Amino acid sequence: MELKQHVKAVALATALASSAAVASAQAEEPIRFGLCFDLSKSYSFVSPQVAQAAQDLAMYTNDNGGIEGHPVEIIVRDHGNEPQRGVECYEQLKREGVFNFYFLSTPVTNAVLPRAMKDGNILMQTFVGRGDAVDGEVFEWVFPVGPTYWQQAANDVAFIKEQLGGNLENAKIGFIYLDYPFGQEPIEILKAISEKEGFELDLYPVPLPGSDQSGAWSNIRRDKPDYVISWLLAGGHVVASKEMRRNRFPIDRYLSVNWMNEVDISNIGAKEAKGILRGTNVAGGQDVPIVKTMLETYYANGKGSGPESLVRDVYYNTGMAIYSTGFEAARLAIKANGWPLTPETMKAAFESIENFDANGLMAPLTVTPSDHGGGGKTRVEQWDGDTWVPMTDWSADYLDVVWEVIKESSAKFTVE
Amino acid sequence: MFKVPADRNLAVFFLLFGLGAPFIIPSLYLNSYMLPWLIWTAAALGLNLVTGWAGQLHLGYAAVMAVGAYSAIHAARFGVPWEFALIIGGLASSVIGSLFAFAALRVKGLYLALTTLAMQFVMDWVLNHSPAISGGSHASLQSPTLALLGQEITSDTGFYYVAFGWCVLVTIFMLNLKRTGLGRALVAVREKDFAAAILGVNSFYYKILAFATSSFIAGVSGALLVATFFFLAAPEQFSVNVSIQVLAMVIVGGLSSIIGSYFGVALILLVPGLVNGFVVVTSQSLGMQINVETLAHIPNAVYGALIVIILLIEPLGLGKLYGNIRDYLMVWPFDQLRK
Repeated sequence: MELKQHVKAVALATALASSAAVASAQAEEPIRFGLCFDLSKSYSFVSPQVAQAAQDLAMYTNDNGGIEGHPVEIIVRDHGNEPQRGVECYEQLKREGVFNFYFLSTPVTNAVLPRAMKDGNILMQTFVGRGDAVDGEVFEWVFPVGPTYWQQAANDVAFIKEQLGGNLENAKIGFIYLDYPFGQEPIEILKAISEKEGFELDLYPVPLPGSDQSGAWSNIRRDKPDYVISWLLAGGHVVASKEMRRNRFPIDRYLSVNWMNEVDISNIGAKEAKGILRGTNVAGGQDVPIVKTMLETYYANGKGSGPESLVRDVYYNTGMAIYSTGFEAARLAIKANGWPLTPETMKAAFESIENFDANGLMAPLTVTPSDHGGGGKTRVEQWDGDTWVPMTDWSADYLDVVWEVIKESSAKFTVE
Repeated sequence: MFKVPADRNLAVFFLLFGLGAPFIIPSLYLNSYMLPWLIWTAAALGLNLVTGWAGQLHLGYAAVMAVGAYSAIHAARFGVPWEFALIIGGLASSVIGSLFAFAALRVKGLYLALTTLAMQFVMDWVLNHSPAISGGSHASLQSPTLALLGQEITSDTGFYYVAFGWCVLVTIFMLNLKRTGLGRALVAVREKDFAAAILGVNSFYYKILAFATSSFIAGVSGALLVATFFFLAAPEQFSVNVSIQVLAMVIVGGLSSIIGSYFGVALILLVPGLVNGFVVVTSQSLGMQINVETLAHIPNAVYGALIVIILLIEPLGLGKLYGNIRDYLMVWPFDQLRK
């Protein structure tokens, strides 16, 4: 099995490397990816893992001949989650010839979006920024590849429906969320689906940063929802787990947003967290071929781009998924239009990505000119005490409801 | 207006430099450093009016800027010409900002700081819970293209001149404030409000005036920040840490120092980015393999140390530091005569 996975990983690398010679890669002009991340403040729970994944993947790609012979250059900068510094980073890297950007912070992405749209530069915004940006007809230069929070919430409801025997009419679903835009975002979709399916939706807002949830969980104990969907972050999950125990709410009915990682699990306690659910668009764990390859090729020899502990974290897989997609787009662009790589060819390449799952790393993506999200497929995984076990296959549900909201929201956006 | 000719010469030099900046400075520095620097300086001067001159500690300044920004953008989206939209933004801020003055009548010092901080949290809550104000479930409100005097402004140079014009306007106002009865009355209120009352200075009136004026400046600055720099408003641009940052700009620059506000903003706003770039370039040129996370934290440490060192050298802030250097140079090489 291991050998098979290794072969698969090598196959992926070969696909990335294509036919180019290893030696010539370094001599060619590089393909630059700008990572203006918050590495020092609010998002530092995820950004180091993603940056490390990008650097590792670039190293691996370069060691295997680059993308169509061109080396990949990853430029990492810190913006401290300050919109002004994010703009500064964008403007600076733009002048250095970078046109693929990822900011990994909602406030900064929002601040840069009008500029990227005006300049015609690729803005990757997986898991951050506005959800309606998946509408490629309006947000031509924005690629939020992966599920939006709206789609994720819809998929969560579909999972619950399946678990409850395909009928939600008498069901009760709780939604516990951080009471600011990130947590509030799915409410609109949940309400729309609740009307459609006839289940009762109970909302439990929690003030930032999620350390005080006692009131919410007392209400949950009283309301007895069948499942609780959770839009909390980091320490919020740990507090929720304590409250669940205190209020005797079964942990296997707690379905988290994708932002729950191994650090949160170890803070809850690996055994205590057994049964907890998480919606995700990337496969967790280290059995994923590309992650395994990184561990064997680099980390076993102490040559990784950072500490190994960060590799054993699902956010590393998330970073791998994001940059596998970015690299794949660059490969398709050069293959179709040759060098030089331009924002236009990169955009066209992104839009031609079809059924790409980075060799089992994530939900298969099919990006089109109208859907920049790639289909929005997720699955639910359960923590078994040691690792994440997938409970469903990749799927995207209630697409009609979600797209109605997306279209309604994106219609209000105009580039001036 | 200027007691020392050197100050006047410096002001004239900066004015000419500011006017010629788009032709001298590369566009990156013009639109990512100069422009936000000028707008934040205007905003910091507004806060300096209420904190430096009138002596009222204000920790909710970003909230007041938010009121101006959102009001102006909503007005502009509604079709109101930008000139009026900016004034509407300023007035809306004045009204909300003056509410702080009523708190200031009852409480002082740290208690007022806490009260204003509470107002900041109220504003955060309102923005996060009113999609009608903040622009839908993503809480981002797009700003229509800025147009002044019938001229649409879309170029970097255009945005820069708008920011420059506003900053000059606020600076002239503040320079004049120093030498008018209003300025002196504010200083009297700051030093001892009941003593000022004995002198016939109505501290109630002047406190409200100080809050209203500074809020007007905040409102217009907030609106211009969005219209010329961010192009859309989001709650995070006016959150509590921004309030603390503006206060830091004023304190590091020097309370009731105009030139100090310029320096303070440069230090708080621009130095983190510059130090960051410097550290990255240095580590690259030395060929050091530093982990990205460590690399991100080094500039923060350097920046923090810089603030501490500056305040240790001159507790009255960068404005006073400038004054010391100027005084030294003015009598140079005869400075030893004073000793």
